[in-house]
Amino acid sequence: MTEVNNALSPHGGKLVDRVLEPVKGRDKARKAKIKLPIDGSRATEIMSIAYGFFSPVEGFMGSREVDSVCKEMRLQSGYIWSIPIVFDISEEEIKQRKINVGDTILLTYQGQPFAVLELDEIFSYDKALMAEKVYGTKDEKHPGVKRTYACKDRFLGGKITLINPPQINPPFDKYWYPPKVLRQKVAELGWKRVIAHQTRNVPHTGHEWLMKGAWFASNADAVLVSCVVGEKRAGDYIDEAIVLTHEALGKAGYFKEGIHLTSILLWDMRYAGPREAIFHAIVRKNLGCTHHMFGRDHAGVGTYYSPYAAHEIFSRVPDLGIGSVLTLEWWYCPVCGEVTYSGLCGHEKEQQAFSGTLIRSIIQDGVKPPRLIFRPEVFDLVMESGEKYGFGSPFVTEEYLAKRNPVITVPPMEV
Amino acid sequence: MSQTFPINIWINEERLEKLQSSGLAHLAQEAFAGLKKLSVPTNEQQRDAVLKKFPTAKYDSATTKSIELLPKDAKDRIFDLVVMKKTLDVMDAFLASK
Repeated sequence: MTEVNNALSPHGGKLVDRVLEPVKGRDKARKAKIKLPIDGSRATEIMSIAYGFFSPVEGFMGSREVDSVCKEMRLQSGYIWSIPIVFDISEEEIKQRKINVGDTILLTYQGQPFAVLELDEIFSYDKALMAEKVYGTKDEKHPGVKRTYACKDRFLGGKITLINPPQINPPFDKYWYPPKVLRQKVAELGWKRVIAHQTRNVPHTGHEWLMKGAWFASNADAVLVSCVVGEKRAGDYIDEAIVLTHEALGKAGYFKEGIHLTSILLWDMRYAGPREAIFHAIVRKNLGCTHHMFGRDHAGVGTYYSPYAAHEIFSRVPDLGIGSVLTLEWWYCPVCGEVTYSGLCGHEKEQQAFSGTLIRSIIQDGVKPPRLIFRPEVFDLVMESGEKYGFGSPFVTEEYLAKRNPVITVPPMEV
Repeated sequence: MSQTFPINIWINEERLEKLQSSGLAHLAQEAFAGLKKLSVPTNEQQRDAVLKKFPTAKYDSATTKSIELLPKDAKDRIFDLVVMKKTLDVMDAFLASK
């Protein structure tokens, strides 16, 4: 394996930019002889590649790259990479569309030309092996494993180019900062040290104190809240509530002006625990962050990973060029009378732990959580978001999944 | 009962009134400086049966070690059983009901 400096910023040393202006994009699209429709997950992965969130990855991985990522947790170039980025397809579709290596394929989304894939390889891969290496389990109940097993039997590998940049729809548009744009904004704001907070949750005060504690620990100028917007499950908070409530923490003064910014990352959580923590660190490094916070059970699910597995993995990888702030949990202590840090509080027997799940449960019971664990401004906005975007519920329902406003819209393009 | 996995039923005004009028207010525990809850215990088998019966429910194994996100109507039925039987030991009866 080639020795490389993983601490280069951006990851790999150069920010990937594979986005074409529509005029040039149209020219490129015209050269493609094969059209292939894609789904929303693939479309947002293409955006993340093209805009450089996944630098140095420039396309969907080929077999040797996938093998290297699964077995060595590195790209073939030597740079650390933890999650395979793959394009699955059925053998029938390959035959039906007469897809061959060397083809330029026009990928369409929402019925419009979207991106171009320059096909280098068509291959098969052992999905059980992929699941076991990435998730540490072959148990189909793990959502990431389930996703891997649901892949069709063949994969396409090759570089992609986004030829028809989509519109980001409200309310997400104001939180869309591709790496190049965010890096520019960080420079304009004069921020030298920025710590990233990964979230897929409406913030309770445990999250708020996690952010504040990590801000202290890293001596940061600012906190970048990076909200994962992607595949949802029934009962999750709706995406709109997540982004709006994070911004509300700043608007309501829990973070003063100029030290807190809310943004989105288009990504379907894999719940890969420690491997996903590495992935999150690399993506936020590409965004221009200098630090990333990792709390208890980061990107975990069920009992597949120990609560601090995501902390432990950072001692086993080279310097990634982004500092890891590893924190324990914040809990409510009735003796201290406050939300406090478990590493400091001596009232272990009296402590009352709380989580996003517990607070969702309180709200579902029709009870307003107390302000010590859930800010009233956040609660009000959660309920408002439910009315405005969630068909009456702040939690994902079948109706929301079927009728929600799309996060992205691809503009019409004649080819 | 050895290790238990509680179902937290958060007490709103309506539930508090029912508890008080049944003389069961003492079953409610204080939580988070301003909340009250009933912690209805389940054993491992009951926990698994609840999670199977209600796919949206979740056992919060990472933090609270409790069963959360049971549908409100299911919690209402558990709560009503507590009030009727005047005990927190109601899960067998709940699971046996439709």
